[in-house]
Amino acid sequence: MAEGMGRNAGILTVACICGIASGMFGIGGGVLLVPLLGLLFSFSQHRAQGTSLVALIPPTGALALMAYAREGFVSWKTGFLLIPGIFLGGIAGGMLAEKLKPLRMRQVFAGILFVLGTWQALSAWWR
Amino acid sequence: MTLMILLLGLGAGVLVGLLGIGGGVVLVPAMVYLLGMDQHLAQGTSLFILLPPIGLGALREYWKQGQVDLRAGILCALGMLFGALGGSLVALPMSSRNVKGLFGCFLVLSAILLWRKAQVETRAPIAGGERAHG
Repeated sequence: MAEGMGRNAGILTVACICGIASGMFGIGGGVLLVPLLGLLFSFSQHRAQGTSLVALIPPTGALALMAYAREGFVSWKTGFLLIPGIFLGGIAGGMLAEKLKPLRMRQVFAGILFVLGTWQALSAWWR
Repeated sequence: MTLMILLLGLGAGVLVGLLGIGGGVVLVPAMVYLLGMDQHLAQGTSLFILLPPIGLGALREYWKQGQVDLRAGILCALGMLFGALGGSLVALPMSSRNVKGLFGCFLVLSAILLWRKAQVETRAPIAGGERAHG
């Protein structure tokens, strides 16, 4: 069972890294978790996505949220307005993911992230 | 404004289900650029949005297909809970500008990882399929 233990420890370590990104950038961490589960632990894409959704069910950001709230960095009203749409959209996306081959979709998404990230880094530092 | 926020949520939600992610990665830049929020405020609000189980509806669809590794998921949740606390303690004292820039770098890194994953996937079926070389 040493191998299973090693795999579990590996997954836990990767999750900690994703968690650090989650707290630093105010995100769920799935965007890092999904490709890492696939690349490091050879999860199939659908399985990595389903597993990532499990990890997002408990309030993993709760401790980080408290730290942000203490500094007054939470807009509660905007949050409440965003939640219902995300929930409903999530169901639609989940059904869509079964129908689509999400490979091309993911490449497009990677492209958008790349452009968005470059733009954000430049707009922050390039003055 | 309210309608725009509601629609923004719906759009982010589709990505949640489609890609199995939390949605924060698109919500944070959207709040910064479309709603004109400060970087820290957008990140705190995004963490708040992730508090309720917004992915539950999407998870149900994956569960029906048997595409869930429950044990690994629980391990990940555990690691992320404490990792997130650590990350927030790093980011909060930093200036908004630097966090914004780092966020951009993080997006680029994620994009590269996602792209690589997609490449690995495309290569496998082609090698085993029509062209049985090697």
